[in-house]
Amino acid sequence: MSKRKYLVLARSQRSGGRSGPSPEQMQQMFAAFNAWKEKFKDAILDIGAKLESEGRVVTASGVADGPFVEVKEVVGGFMIVSAETYDGAVEVVRAMPTAPGASFEIREMTAKM
Amino acid sequence: MSTPSHPRGPGEPASPGLVEHYFRHEYGRLVAVLVRRVGLHHLDAVEDAVQGALLAALTAWVANGIPHNPSAWLYQVAHNHLLGVLRKDQGHQQILEGAADQRADNGEEPVSPTFADEVRDELLRMLFVCCDEKIPQESRLVLALKTLCGFSTGEIAFRLFTTEANVYKRLARARDWLRQSEVDTQTPPLESLRSRLPSVHAVIYLLFNEGYLSTHAEHAIRAELCEEAIRLGTLLATHSVGAAPPTFALLALMHLHAARLASRQDATGGLLLLEEQDRSLWDAEHLSQGATWLARAAEGDVFTRFHAEAGIAAEHCFAPSFAETRWNEIAELYAMLECIDPSPIHTLNRAVAVAQWQGPQAGLTALDGMVPPAWLDGHYLWDAVLADLHHRAGNAATAERHRDQALAAAPSTAVRQLLRRRLNASRK
Repeated sequence: MSKRKYLVLARSQRSGGRSGPSPEQMQQMFAAFNAWKEKFKDAILDIGAKLESEGRVVTASGVADGPFVEVKEVVGGFMIVSAETYDGAVEVVRAMPTAPGASFEIREMTAKM
Repeated sequence: MSTPSHPRGPGEPASPGLVEHYFRHEYGRLVAVLVRRVGLHHLDAVEDAVQGALLAALTAWVANGIPHNPSAWLYQVAHNHLLGVLRKDQGHQQILEGAADQRADNGEEPVSPTFADEVRDELLRMLFVCCDEKIPQESRLVLALKTLCGFSTGEIAFRLFTTEANVYKRLARARDWLRQSEVDTQTPPLESLRSRLPSVHAVIYLLFNEGYLSTHAEHAIRAELCEEAIRLGTLLATHSVGAAPPTFALLALMHLHAARLASRQDATGGLLLLEEQDRSLWDAEHLSQGATWLARAAEGDVFTRFHAEAGIAAEHCFAPSFAETRWNEIAELYAMLECIDPSPIHTLNRAVAVAQWQGPQAGLTALDGMVPPAWLDGHYLWDAVLADLHHRAGNAATAERHRDQALAAAPSTAVRQLLRRRLNASRK
């Protein structure tokens, strides 16, 4: 009696049988995140409120290259650039070594900060 | 264990067949481990050798049965192949000797890494190497897909909606840099690459979004890129070099979005609005993973854009129904996201959330004074949102104008149908 041969190919792994958190536990996890989030809310929104509402977006090529531009942005947060004029700030941002497709929005900060 | 037959030559065309595809993850592991042995300068030769080993396995395993230790078998065949190629090159005599010594030490068992931890470390090291900021970002993504996820150039082109020639060009740019770089024959130790963590996050995020936001008609194709991003993120989170709240938040946001992926399409492949989605189709496994990572992300003193985005995804996933969604929280999270990472897209999203929360006029006010940049002005989303808000606010003529512009600029039939349904429904 000859044995048959089988080729077993692994596909993407899922933990499957392992029991995850219950719906109630998931809600608790969600609540824990929200409680933690609260301590940042005011500080972060405070900075945003002080930005002028008009802004410009600078990309490496001048024009972004596709419909899903937000995807192509560099993840990295914000920075403060000092320059005498908008155009001066644009020049500073343009001169930065960044990946193609990155875009930056520049807004003037009010003196009150 | 059967004796490995000699693998095919690198000149032989690699058929992008099923087995090769199923072995993608084995490919990534082998490339990472062999690169560690012979150095980054030989990435091309390593990839050829691994390709050859996988093709050899197809023939040999069917004829002789599956070897006792398939991974070790593949490693040995790839390793032998690699030595054969390097042997032809006089300039690499030293590498050859070094590698041969290692092999001799181990007698009959191949020098195959058997510990999961070691393989994980090699994969991670490769990921950090791919994410060198000196490599153009689009090349980083393609390099990761090729060397870590094991996609062929054809498969990458198909998934990224670009030509194979373009993928090849991007890869060549990355490899040129790797060849010319000061990286020594040995890849640098993982800990010394820690500063590249943001770039690693960016590549994983990009990979996920390529899958998630793609307008590709086939769900399975899109889901695959998302699963790969989650796989790499999980790898990162389980090592001290990447185990930090931003990584956990990134994983939370990917799982929570992936949970809803299947429900975004109807039976005919058309896109569905959140309102229309069947919540019972949401993936329980992804939801529980998402919740678990979310809880772990809520730690420390830094609230990153990944935290904001994970928070938004969680609001949608854990709302009991569309009607009970906490739009005020979502609007606030978008406002936080705007501050952390200013982008007109985030402003637009916030306006949508504000309109759900406080009405269309409030949504329009959120966009007041916003001058869309050139790329967004011609983008269908901008017009679609304005058409919807103006219509609901009773500005029929303005709504009509934006509606026509949105339909004209829609990138695919599926998106156009979705817009037509949404914007026509909103005029009743």
